[in-house]
Amino acid sequence: MTKKIIYECIDAGSEYCPCYLAETNDCITCSHLQGKEFCDCNWRGVCIYQEYFWNGKKAKIARKNFIGKILDKKIIGDNLIIFEIEVAKSFARNLKQPGSYIFIRDADKPEYFDIPMSIMYSDENKGRIHVAVQIIGTKTKSLVNLEDEIMVRGPYWNGVLGLKELKTLKNSNALLIARGVALAPAVHILNYLIRNNNRITFIMDKGKFSEIFIGDYLDESKIITIEADILNQKGKLIVQELIRNNHYDLCFSGGSDPQHKEINNLLREFSLNTKYVITNNKEICCGEGICGSCTMRVGDKIIKACKSQINTSYIFEKEAE
Amino acid sequence: MTKVVIIGGGWAGCAAAVTAKKAGAEVVILERTDLLLGLGNVGGIMRNNGRFTAAEESILLGAGDLFNICDKVSRHVNVDFPGHKHASFYDVSKIEPAVRRAMQEMEIEIMFRTRAIDVDISDNHIKSIILHDERVIEGDIFIETTGSTGPMGNCLKYGNGCVMCILRCPTFGPRVSISMKAGVEDILARRKDGSYGAFSGSCKLNKDSLDEEIVKKLNKDGVAVLPVPQEDINVGKLDKKVCQQYALEEYAKNVVLLDTGHAKLMAPYYPIDKLRKIVGLENAKYEDPYSGGIGNSIRYLSIAPRDNNMKVNGVKNLLCAGEKSGFFVGHTEAIVTGSLAGHNAVRMNKGMKLLELPISIAVGDIIAYANSKIGTPEGLKSRYTFAGSVYFNRMKKLNLYSIDKNSLKKKISRLDLIKIFEEKLV
Repeated sequence: MTKKIIYECIDAGSEYCPCYLAETNDCITCSHLQGKEFCDCNWRGVCIYQEYFWNGKKAKIARKNFIGKILDKKIIGDNLIIFEIEVAKSFARNLKQPGSYIFIRDADKPEYFDIPMSIMYSDENKGRIHVAVQIIGTKTKSLVNLEDEIMVRGPYWNGVLGLKELKTLKNSNALLIARGVALAPAVHILNYLIRNNNRITFIMDKGKFSEIFIGDYLDESKIITIEADILNQKGKLIVQELIRNNHYDLCFSGGSDPQHKEINNLLREFSLNTKYVITNNKEICCGEGICGSCTMRVGDKIIKACKSQINTSYIFEKEAE
Repeated sequence: MTKVVIIGGGWAGCAAAVTAKKAGAEVVILERTDLLLGLGNVGGIMRNNGRFTAAEESILLGAGDLFNICDKVSRHVNVDFPGHKHASFYDVSKIEPAVRRAMQEMEIEIMFRTRAIDVDISDNHIKSIILHDERVIEGDIFIETTGSTGPMGNCLKYGNGCVMCILRCPTFGPRVSISMKAGVEDILARRKDGSYGAFSGSCKLNKDSLDEEIVKKLNKDGVAVLPVPQEDINVGKLDKKVCQQYALEEYAKNVVLLDTGHAKLMAPYYPIDKLRKIVGLENAKYEDPYSGGIGNSIRYLSIAPRDNNMKVNGVKNLLCAGEKSGFFVGHTEAIVTGSLAGHNAVRMNKGMKLLELPISIAVGDIIAYANSKIGTPEGLKSRYTFAGSVYFNRMKKLNLYSIDKNSLKKKISRLDLIKIFEEKLV
């Protein structure tokens, strides 16, 4: 028998639930809102169908675009910009959890310039967020000349997969490996894990950038940091030997899909019980489960990666088959 | 060693645990909430009408443990109320800890806040139960006693929404039909008008919110009957109730209160402004469900097809009991079916013939009768209880109803079933 795939909607129970998917019988969670006659869900909060009913059988008000003030713009090398954006304090607070992201674009450009960007740092007391943007294609190049204002939409939360494992880790050992622009979400994850009293080893790879740009966001007295190029032989050996010798309780990989897969293979070989958390690399385009660009096939299910939290073992199991 | 995994710690699940344990199994109960007994925490009515017979038969069969606990914590015994005789009311504030202690003394393992959400099944044989947190519980034989009530979406679609009943779905998560996950379609009850499910039949009022005289009467007699103002009498509402034994005209013209620790109001729900028009209830407040003025939980949406030995059709090692096993109403009915399922779980694992209780005793007849009716359109609209309505009429007609303990003992001896549930099989 194939293993049952368990996944949950990241937005279930939030102020944005039920969403447009409920109106078209495509809810990720509720069987009634999938057009079925009876309950068959795994949601452990106030009933989504009931929320839908009380909301006049329509979706809750969706996330809106707003203009955020650019407080600071730090250009690093020729392909990286860190924006500090002023937002409402409540908005910043909603982006405190690991995996948070927003959409940003030039306010003068149309909606299809929206690009998802991981939150690197969020200060809810001052209402400020920091995002790191790698200048790489049309969407990101259109951000280079922004000086005062930037269009923002959010909050979104599904930027990492394996959130449950991440959030429940306490007083344990974790290995973080991040390369390139994925260093940004790693900062958020790192701070979360430190708060839960975990001991952390962090392998940082600057990737295609000129420097490791997160230095200001780290307290290196609290964690072990290792700088390496994880694509060369030496870097690969460091990763492998750390995993083999330490049997971490949790491992985070921030980077490309091939990187995720390679680390997963090492975990399978040397440290089978390590929980695995990865950045969500699917092509997220609308963040609302509507556009379909992020869909992935896991087992016999088609999953919308922008909204679905899933244990990463399901993803790699499929690939191993 | 036989490992029996029971999904659901209500009356049926507890009864199954007791007999499976007595037969020699290692037993674990998976319970979604933090309490045993489920709706039994707000029930209380025992031994009324034919339930007296069923309780005595069960005691003679060797499954008297839970009945004895109910008797011990009864606030009132031998009470008559409209349509019902010789009832006892257990104290809902005392019953759960008493049962929990008894389970612990018997070394039955109970996993609280543990919700079963799926099965690992191959070749129609369940290997394990998958829990909400993806843990896996393996076992030899499984007994599903998850009931048929809720969860919230069903209570909304077929009722008046979540009214915050004792099952507390928002806190502990939804009931999942395990038989359905094993590939067996649920059977669904219908109301007289053809719609699905049925409302639970009673709510509970906070006794401190009632008039002093009524409280005194309840404490003394166990029952109080209060007339409903003429303009509020609605006989039609009786059709909505699951508890057809209480769907009598007297229950439309009066409100009947029973003392189970709370004041049990024998109506599925009752708008609070109308309720407060009744003399003595001017300050009444609901205790369960909290929104008892609006609605009640919706039941009978998840029945597994089964044999008369409680085995679920189509799955090799799954039994069922309680509401999951038919349109049964009440604790007694849950305990009776649960006791048989628990005992048969051990027989099943040993490869023995499963026990079927003879139809010459009430506890055997109700199991067979409910099953014979469930395939008919009319059967989907009936509920079965020793306490009244169609089945109590049948008991009387077939001479199955008796409150004479001696004659019951003679009958069970003649059938050679005395203490059969006490037998250790492994």
